Amino acid sequence: MKRRVNVIGVGMTKFAKPGSSPEYFEMAKEAGQKALADAGIPYEAVEQAYTGYVYGDSTCGQRSVYELGLTGIPVFNVNNNCSTGSTALYLARQAIEGGLAECVLALGFEKMAKGALGAKYDDREQPMGKHAQVMVDLQGFTQAPPAAQMFGGAGREYRFLHGTKKETFGKISEKARVHASNNPYALFGQRLSLDEIMASEEVFDPLTRFQCCPPTCGAGAAILCSDEFAKKHNISNPVYIAGQSMTTDYGSSFAPQSMIKMVGYDMTVQAAKQVYEQSGIGPDDVDVVELHDCFTASELLTYEGLGLCPEGGAEKFIWDADNTYGGKVVTNPSGGLLSKGHPLGATGLAQCTELVWQLRGTADKRQVAGARVALQHNLGLGGACVVTMYRRD
Amino acid sequence: MADQLRFDDKVVIVTGAGNGLGRSHALMFGARGAKVVVNDLGGGRHGDGSKSSAAADKVVEEIKALGGQAAANYDSVEDGDKIVQTAMDAFGTVDVVINNAGILRDVSFHKMTVEDWNLIYRVHLNGSFRVTHAAWPIMREKGYGRIIMTTSAAGIYGNFGQANYSAAKLALVGLASTLSLEGAAKNVLVNTIAPLAASRLTETVLPPELLEKLNPAYVSPLVGWLCHQDSRETGGLFEVGAGMVNKLRWERTVGHGYSVKSELQIEDVASKWDEICDFSKTTHPANIAESMAGAMDNINNPKLGGNKWIDLDEAKAAKPIVAENSYDQRDLSLYALGVGVGADPLAPQELQYVYELGENYHAVPTYGVMPALNAFMKLQVDGGKLPGLSSDLLDRVLHGEQYTEIKRPLPPQAKLRHEIKLRTAYDKGKDAVGIIDVHTFDESGEELAYNEITTFLRGCGGWGGDRGPSADVNVPPAREPDAVIEEKIGESQALLYRLSGDWNPLHIDPEFAKNFGFDRPILHGLCTFGYVGRHIIKQFLGNDPRRFKSIKVRFAKSVYPGDTLVTRMWKESDLRIVFETRVKERDEVVIKNAAVELYETIPLAKAKVKAVAAASTATSAQPAGPIPEDIFKGIGKAIAQAPGMVGKIATTFAFKLSAPDSSWVIDLKNAPGAARAGDIDKPDVTLSLSQADFIDMCTGKADPQKLFMGGKLKIGGNLMASQKLEFLKTMDPKLVMDAVAERVGAGGGASAASAAAAPQQSQELIAADIFNGIAKALAAQPAMVAKAATVFQFVLKDPDSAWTLDLKNAPGSVKPGSVDKPDVTLTLSDADFLDMCTGKADPQKLFMGGKLKIGGNLMASQKLEFLKTMDRKLVEQAQAERLGSGAPAASASSVASSKPAAAEAPAKSGRAAEIFAALSKKFGSDAKSINGAAGAVMVFEVSEPKQSFVLDLSGPQPKIESGKSANAAAVFGIADEDLVALVKGEAELRDLYQRGRLRVDGDIRLAHQLGFLQKLI
Repeated sequence: MKRRVNVIGVGMTKFAKPGSSPEYFEMAKEAGQKALADAGIPYEAVEQAYTGYVYGDSTCGQRSVYELGLTGIPVFNVNNNCSTGSTALYLARQAIEGGLAECVLALGFEKMAKGALGAKYDDREQPMGKHAQVMVDLQGFTQAPPAAQMFGGAGREYRFLHGTKKETFGKISEKARVHASNNPYALFGQRLSLDEIMASEEVFDPLTRFQCCPPTCGAGAAILCSDEFAKKHNISNPVYIAGQSMTTDYGSSFAPQSMIKMVGYDMTVQAAKQVYEQSGIGPDDVDVVELHDCFTASELLTYEGLGLCPEGGAEKFIWDADNTYGGKVVTNPSGGLLSKGHPLGATGLAQCTELVWQLRGTADKRQVAGARVALQHNLGLGGACVVTMYRRD
Repeated sequence: MADQLRFDDKVVIVTGAGNGLGRSHALMFGARGAKVVVNDLGGGRHGDGSKSSAAADKVVEEIKALGGQAAANYDSVEDGDKIVQTAMDAFGTVDVVINNAGILRDVSFHKMTVEDWNLIYRVHLNGSFRVTHAAWPIMREKGYGRIIMTTSAAGIYGNFGQANYSAAKLALVGLASTLSLEGAAKNVLVNTIAPLAASRLTETVLPPELLEKLNPAYVSPLVGWLCHQDSRETGGLFEVGAGMVNKLRWERTVGHGYSVKSELQIEDVASKWDEICDFSKTTHPANIAESMAGAMDNINNPKLGGNKWIDLDEAKAAKPIVAENSYDQRDLSLYALGVGVGADPLAPQELQYVYELGENYHAVPTYGVMPALNAFMKLQVDGGKLPGLSSDLLDRVLHGEQYTEIKRPLPPQAKLRHEIKLRTAYDKGKDAVGIIDVHTFDESGEELAYNEITTFLRGCGGWGGDRGPSADVNVPPAREPDAVIEEKIGESQALLYRLSGDWNPLHIDPEFAKNFGFDRPILHGLCTFGYVGRHIIKQFLGNDPRRFKSIKVRFAKSVYPGDTLVTRMWKESDLRIVFETRVKERDEVVIKNAAVELYETIPLAKAKVKAVAAASTATSAQPAGPIPEDIFKGIGKAIAQAPGMVGKIATTFAFKLSAPDSSWVIDLKNAPGAARAGDIDKPDVTLSLSQADFIDMCTGKADPQKLFMGGKLKIGGNLMASQKLEFLKTMDPKLVMDAVAERVGAGGGASAASAAAAPQQSQELIAADIFNGIAKALAAQPAMVAKAATVFQFVLKDPDSAWTLDLKNAPGSVKPGSVDKPDVTLTLSDADFLDMCTGKADPQKLFMGGKLKIGGNLMASQKLEFLKTMDRKLVEQAQAERLGSGAPAASASSVASSKPAAAEAPAKSGRAAEIFAALSKKFGSDAKSINGAAGAVMVFEVSEPKQSFVLDLSGPQPKIESGKSANAAAVFGIADEDLVALVKGEAELRDLYQRGRLRVDGDIRLAHQLGFLQKLI
């Protein structure tokens, strides 16, 4: 018997550029304390903690949670590349849903280095070896950051298949910056014109500098609980998780070789499909989406993967402004990764935070009017994709 | 006592606790808080008499009186489970078992009945077993237990009249030893005591006045400590009593290890009996593994064996004997005269050996044997002994074969140090053959000569050792000799020759010679040796001895002064001559299986070579000691010399060396066998170790077993097969040293001034050229340093070299060698590096294919891009400079001839214009082919060479012209060669686009409409 899982508290730090952030545990402490305060419960009520981070030695989770309290609870350290934060959330949700706990904390944080993502361990097989092979076979290997080559290559493939304009990709950044200008949590809040975006340095054709999310440092947290717990603590009408799914790579990621598939398109498609089935809510009913826009190309592909527009329809969807306020669905009201940057462990929980605020109607200037259904998409190469549906009655 | 060691709440079973030791133990435990089960059958000391509960009950009362808890049990220890049950019923568990109960049936062995024997066994051994066995699962279950077995000095040492008792008592020690192992993981500790105390068992054997002093109270405290929760002791054996507490352990002599290759005879054991029983050197094996260590070591490091004359193990273990002597021009000239020089005192080829002021004064190369042999003979004369050889051999020794190698022409005078060692001996059955190595070093420590003295040891064989190689070497071919030289030996030659050092009267004293069975004194074998050496020099070296490398002969028959030598020579290669020598008068072969090897060029002293190498620029340093390459090369030679090994060993070995990494294969499975760099599929054995350890292992400095045990050598695959590597130990180390010499000679001498050495200079582009070119580029563009801000380390392999490219610390540098903390380390083969830098190999493909390994900051490696844009001419220039400076004569032609290949191709002509001309023509004749592109304006920006074309299909007539257009719907960027490939159908448009080789700005849909480009040329 699955139980309803409520998200009763969320919190995040403002993300900071690498080199100028506090220590990871200090950022985690801030996000965690904000979430506890948001939920209005003491830390002692938390029975388990799921902590996500990618860069750091083992048990950084404990070091972080210890800032909130030393109650001896189980702490699980989670590492799942760019979808680490959502993975922590996924495990937290399972614990409540399965009746294993009444109140748990999902906490994500990341202290990142400057520059593009790279491998930390060069003495062993890279986890993305199979993925890289597809890329090398299809397009070789250049000096550009590897992730940009992967998603940019998928962009190329998409563009060739569908005759897409380069500016279509640029439009996504333009929209992201408009949304970000209303978000005090966004690191890059100033608007950019399409021309500025297209004229910025080319990172990997068709992606330019302003179409790539930078690494940042930060933390996000969410408190999940059962109905009984919420009732006991007099929390009424909380946001709850109406569906959640995690997928990893299917065979199609590797054969037949396709850059679009390699960057996890089918992980998105399948995870979304499962979530729509679980929740009984389709893409047309979604009011607001936080989706994984590490590059404009990934956002474009995700529109189709989530079914927000038909396959091959992304260009129209974008130019018709169906991805923003006044359109079909508001995508990345927070400004997304493109505007906040991407602290790998924190991103999934920052997305969750934004959507909870949206569903509560507390998102201020960027509030999506009357938002009742929110969808979260967090994807990591290697790979894992977590799609979560939130509702508020 | 504040810190009294207590047993609160511990449940203790003491068997036989009604009296004596048992009672003492029980009272002690009871007084310290334990709950005690007092077991006593109440029998007499002989196990007879009626049962009585009185003894046990009394002790229970005593414990209770002391304020303790106790329960009585009256069962026999043979019903041990009942005793344990009593503990369970009374106290709920068992923590400690003291197996103390015992009886005696003393009787001398010849009167002993089966009943006497069995009863003792039942009570002592079976009883201890039963009680312990019943308590064991309880202790295991709760992870706590302390058990005491009670043995006896009678068991350990024996005692008259107690055969049954001694046997049963010592059995308990064995039981405790195993239980201590089985219980360790569960915190169940088992110890054994051999108490000396007055008890019902001892009152019969010890005098009363002594018994008084043997109070059991001196035994119980040891039991208490061994059973306390704080004690970690287990498996121990203790003697205790009268205030003494001692621990016992096993002691083992080092003993004697016999060869496991030959049969072990009773006589062999008898002959080493003192050594076997010698306790002056001992070990203390504490467990089975340590017990077996000696035997395993004997298997893994088998004794080579020997007999009263020869001890191969002693020879192997010994360090070489060191001896010193010297020679000067006088010695050289005297030797030259001794071996027949000077027959024509006017001939320059004779004078060159005896006239020290002459322009071309040279030592006779075969003199290389004399200082070594003199040193060896002096050792014997002085009463010294060569380890491994008896000093009692003089009358059994015959010089059988001689190998002499000189590392370079012998200087006119030298102070020498010799290292003499019995390398091995072969067991030829009745007789033996010993091989004595002498390495001779000059004052600078550099090896000058190497001698291998093969002696025939009459009647010294028969120890079951290796018979050694049997095949004849240096067998002359069937054809007629390529040259024959005849020379008569002077009648008084032996008198002259002996002055060089061999004073054996056999060669001068007619009486002495007769006693030895000769008509008259015979000539020294090594005198003949000098004659034949000269023959080769005369015939094949034009009388210039400097390229003489080595000579190997077998002395077949005696030669007499006055004989005529006929040397028949076959030139087997430019560097090797096989020969044999007969005595014309008797038509007897006196020298056979003989060969001379020559050097290709005159070798220089290494000190000189080094200086030359240092002076030359940018050649990588060549280590003078063996490197893996040398060792495997040496192994390769050994395999070639003994092809039989391949079938016999039938194993493939993979070596994974680290620091620096390299992979090697020894294939002794697939004929003809090989030792080479690289990998092999499914090796039988894989050995992983550091390069340093490998070299130590192969040069005998490190023991493979120790490396293995110490975790420094990892063996994968068939562990047993690794033992087949034993053959490495018997391999001639000379083969490796040859390889070192070849490498060092070849590499270090590259730019030596000697004209002969010059041809070895590589005319090809080498890594050094590239790095020198980079240095030039760096000097030309110092800004590069700040921009890249990276230190690159290149580790090249085959051949190995290391280079550091510092683009971080101004003004930047390029130098051979490594650096402490490079930002990036690129590891690849020398060949791949050259290919990469000459554009023949794509670094990405090398990287993806695992041929280029990038350590450190992967991203920083991208900064190496500048290599691509670097002016190639700088590299050529560096190459030309190297060749120019190294070999003036050859440089002009070689640089000229290498230029076209390395130089940048002349400006590419490009075929884009041709293609668009053809397209124009095509549109003219077949307008339909425009198809979907109709109406569009497209621009092709072609690069390499740069050209631009406009396809204007918007008007009624298609227009194609060079230039650009502002109205283009799509701009295609493509290199000329890719355009050609596309047109020819060799490249696919989509693929070019995905790879970024075709760039499409604007409407990409037009890319789908370019079908008209197909097959234009």
